[in-house]
Amino acid sequence: MMDIKRIISKIERDYIISNLKKEERIDGRGLWEYREFQIKSDIIASAEGSADVSLGDTKIITGLKYEVGEPFPDLPDEGVCTVMAELLPLASPLFERGPPDEQSIELARVVDRGIRHADCVQTKNLCIKEREAVYILFVDMYVINYSGNLIDAGGVSALTTLISAHIPEGVWNSDKGETDWTGKYITGETLVKELPFVVTYGKIDDIIFLDPSLPEELVCDGKISISVTEEKITSIQKSGAATFSIDEIKTLGKKSLEIGKKLRKDLNLLQYLSKID
Amino acid sequence: MPLIIKDEYPKKLFREDGKRLDGRSEKELRPIKMEVGVIQNADGSAYLEWGNNKIYAAVYGPREVHPHHLAKPDRGVLRVFYRMATFSVFDRKRPAPGRREKEISMIVADCIEPVLFLELYPGTSFEVFIEVLDADGGTRCASTTVAALALADAGIPMKSLVSAVAVGKIDGKKVVDLSGIEDKAGDADLPIAITWYNEEVSLLQFDGDMDLSEMNDFLSDAKEALESIHKTQLNVLKSKYLKLQEETKTNKEKESKKGDE
Repeated sequence: MMDIKRIISKIERDYIISNLKKEERIDGRGLWEYREFQIKSDIIASAEGSADVSLGDTKIITGLKYEVGEPFPDLPDEGVCTVMAELLPLASPLFERGPPDEQSIELARVVDRGIRHADCVQTKNLCIKEREAVYILFVDMYVINYSGNLIDAGGVSALTTLISAHIPEGVWNSDKGETDWTGKYITGETLVKELPFVVTYGKIDDIIFLDPSLPEELVCDGKISISVTEEKITSIQKSGAATFSIDEIKTLGKKSLEIGKKLRKDLNLLQYLSKID
Repeated sequence: MPLIIKDEYPKKLFREDGKRLDGRSEKELRPIKMEVGVIQNADGSAYLEWGNNKIYAAVYGPREVHPHHLAKPDRGVLRVFYRMATFSVFDRKRPAPGRREKEISMIVADCIEPVLFLELYPGTSFEVFIEVLDADGGTRCASTTVAALALADAGIPMKSLVSAVAVGKIDGKKVVDLSGIEDKAGDADLPIAITWYNEEVSLLQFDGDMDLSEMNDFLSDAKEALESIHKTQLNVLKSKYLKLQEETKTNKEKESKKGDE
């Protein structure tokens, strides 16, 4: 069991910082190294897509459910995809019961924006009948163990869930004015195009490092999360009280694209496409 | 992978060959898999796969009571929070806990409390968080079973483990361990738990109809099934400690080798 406190002692903080200054991490990683990702897909029978993703000791299980509902009036032929996150009190003594707090809303929002602005979910393919019926997808993330950097683990978890999705295919029955089910499935190939990855860095003093672990997250001044597709940056979130120089932001933008490329290749998420017809 | 599009119940719950829809015989349990120590942050934790049910349980405690007024000066308090994930059921569940989740939380807490020595921990609380990620009937029994395991994994003194199972009646026949569809379309459902230190019943609910002789049969069928579940629980805990024993042994050997050098 790990010793988790809300406040880290000054000695521990100094130890983490002095190591970082030597470009060393307390868990032996280099400054630009991720912890190991472990991914399992389609693990929940009741969900139309699911993933169990671990990043080091951080573990997030995500599931997808759908409803058929009316589209937004300004997007009459597009489905909707929403992301929610629950920081379960089971996952850490730092998490409390109750309605979603700032941290869980930020996690859901950052992952959502990464996906939304990347041409990832093909919302036009989620339309059953213009102005009448579209799919509403709920991608719900549950944190099972919290050991730092929920955002990157959540991003991969949500993405794998969408890739593994298999949603019953509906056609519009204009006589009855309702949806009929064909018995076939809409799968990840129709649903997902671009694969966005969120890359998060921590900053202490003027040292920046990838994938903050829990102790690093607790002592760092702030973080920055950058979502990237193959070629483009699609969303950025700076959080915490740190400030970043223009040069640092430029470097991190470039770095994120490189790291995104590597993740895309190493994780090979398309292997989790649903095999169902 | 869900293969049903509409949530329809079948007319018959037995196949032509006399087996149940999932291929089980009347007194057969679904496959059960348990693991302990799955959540690193928790003081104790356990994971249970029971048929299609997938449940995590984590224990934190003894720790300070929040809110403070719930603390008791002469004993500890046991609080259980049973929650279901939005995607664990056919229609997406709303994220906020409902009445059913609160009721089951209370039932599980009442069921487990007798095996704990709460009087040894005045002013503190033990909190058990249960998260059902995939549900397919019998989640209150599965939750009780996995919660007891997580408490034992936390090293909290206990008089014994607790095991639970549901027995019931489908298409007029008595069966053990009802699946989701059998629970919904069946005639009777009787979840039951045993505290092993006194072999008495600690959770008992019933919905349906039965006569006295049926009740006797239900209770003896349940006892038999519970014994096998208890055995699995004990084995999982034992293998955890055997593993620890081996690890310490190899560590000691390594150290003594170092000493020789």
